Amino acid sequence: MEYVSPEGLRLDGRRPMEMRQLRAEIGTVAKANGSAVFEMGNTKVIAAVYGPREVQNRSQQINDQALVRCEYSMANFSTGDRMRKPKGDRRSTEISLVIRQTMEACILTHLMPRSQIDIFVQVLQADGGTRSACINAATLALADAGIPMRDIVTSCSAGYLNSTPLLDLNYIEDSAGGPDVTVGILPKLDKVTLLQMDAKLPVDIFENVMGLAIEGCKAIANYIREVLLENTKQLEYRRGL
Amino acid sequence: MVGLSVGEKHFIQGGIAQDLRSDGRKRLTYRPIYVETGVIPQAHGSARVRLGATDVIASVKAELGKPSALQPDKGNIAIYVDCSPTAAPMFEGRGGEELSTELSVALQRCLLGGKSGAGAGIDPTSLVVVEGKVCWDLYIDGLVISSDGNLLDALAAAIKAALSNTGIPKVNVAADATSDEQPEVNISDEEFLQFDTSGIPVIVTLTKVGRHYIVDATSEEESQMSSAVSISVNRKGHICGLTKRGGVGLDPSIILDMISVAKHVSEQLINKLDSEIAAAEASEEES
Repeated sequence: MEYVSPEGLRLDGRRPMEMRQLRAEIGTVAKANGSAVFEMGNTKVIAAVYGPREVQNRSQQINDQALVRCEYSMANFSTGDRMRKPKGDRRSTEISLVIRQTMEACILTHLMPRSQIDIFVQVLQADGGTRSACINAATLALADAGIPMRDIVTSCSAGYLNSTPLLDLNYIEDSAGGPDVTVGILPKLDKVTLLQMDAKLPVDIFENVMGLAIEGCKAIANYIREVLLENTKQLEYRRGL
Repeated sequence: MVGLSVGEKHFIQGGIAQDLRSDGRKRLTYRPIYVETGVIPQAHGSARVRLGATDVIASVKAELGKPSALQPDKGNIAIYVDCSPTAAPMFEGRGGEELSTELSVALQRCLLGGKSGAGAGIDPTSLVVVEGKVCWDLYIDGLVISSDGNLLDALAAAIKAALSNTGIPKVNVAADATSDEQPEVNISDEEFLQFDTSGIPVIVTLTKVGRHYIVDATSEEESQMSSAVSISVNRKGHICGLTKRGGVGLDPSIILDMISVAKHVSEQLINKLDSEIAAAEASEEES
């Protein structure tokens, strides 16, 4: 199948190095300490953060740092065909773990000993790149909750189809069987915290594809900073400063 | 669930006794309702309803299936509710399952009528394409995103809004469908059928706190309840279903009193909801 037309356009009309439209909103779950919605094209996720608070299960308490927990769940209606999956299947457990490890790396956990931070991500619509969208949403929610972090983490995926590196794969491109490189970076420190790839790829091309994904992460980081700045301005305005 | 001090509990109960609740409402006033339709483009119909800090999404998906042998002239409708852990950390893992099941069963009872399908808000016979062979299976999924009490009323409102937003593709059946085999069907991409949603009831939950009962309780108020009765009422004022929750017994005369109050409240709720749905549909078409 042809994923990039001779004119250089992809199935959804994007150019190979073009990202889907981003949209983010902070403070959507009123009862949570921090929350955010993040959309990448048709992929839409909600993240909510509870904490830092008292550790619920005493045996898990860590005496010199905070306990970070994460749960990823998909709504029944999130995929094209309706599915009814039991909670805690392998895929969601793996993604929960990935998100937890990525966020733990940027939270200053040593500042909040003997406490617990819960991150819940809920996928409302899945159209490829849910992993990345979840990490971006979780970053925004953590920032909204006022949790101290080294830097924001942003994530983006890139792939390689029809001998062309493609940025931000959607569901059809993702299931095409080509490689799918998901990268998460700390943009200010310029460090990679998450890197996953399936399928095989020559090393020199991999370098290109990863570079493309990192560029995508940086673009997302700029957008997230804008959203946070706008949100802070709103808060300032409401306080009458 | 909700940690309240003795003083706070007293304040909530005292406020309800004096007909002035802690958020300034009267006993029988709802919080403002916001409706948004078409939030899940992948579904046949969807809606998001916000009631104060309570936030729910309902989606409707239709699939072609086979009617059961016992009821060849009726389609299947199923309602499932999921409580997302974003709403409260206690819904993590399997923690939300009990509440999800309770809500699903209550909604099925209140909206879909009995086993025979009599008294259902949605006419199951309208889902049949070829009697005994092909029908639409309607899956209604509710998702609780944020919870601040009165989930049942919010979910019922969201389902009503999602169903008015639903378009089921028109199905053309091949003409030679006389044999015993499954007939060939052709699903149209362009023509959609709308549901008649005027008969879908709304649910009014009356929560008894102390000697009085209130509508649209917040989670703080729900923590002080002795019992609650959820009554589903349709536009004609008929009672379509009833569920009582909470352990404390109620006097039968009080229940009858509650039903008549619910009937009265439901009129305002239906009108408010209908105008909100119409406004949401209009703004969706604009964008």
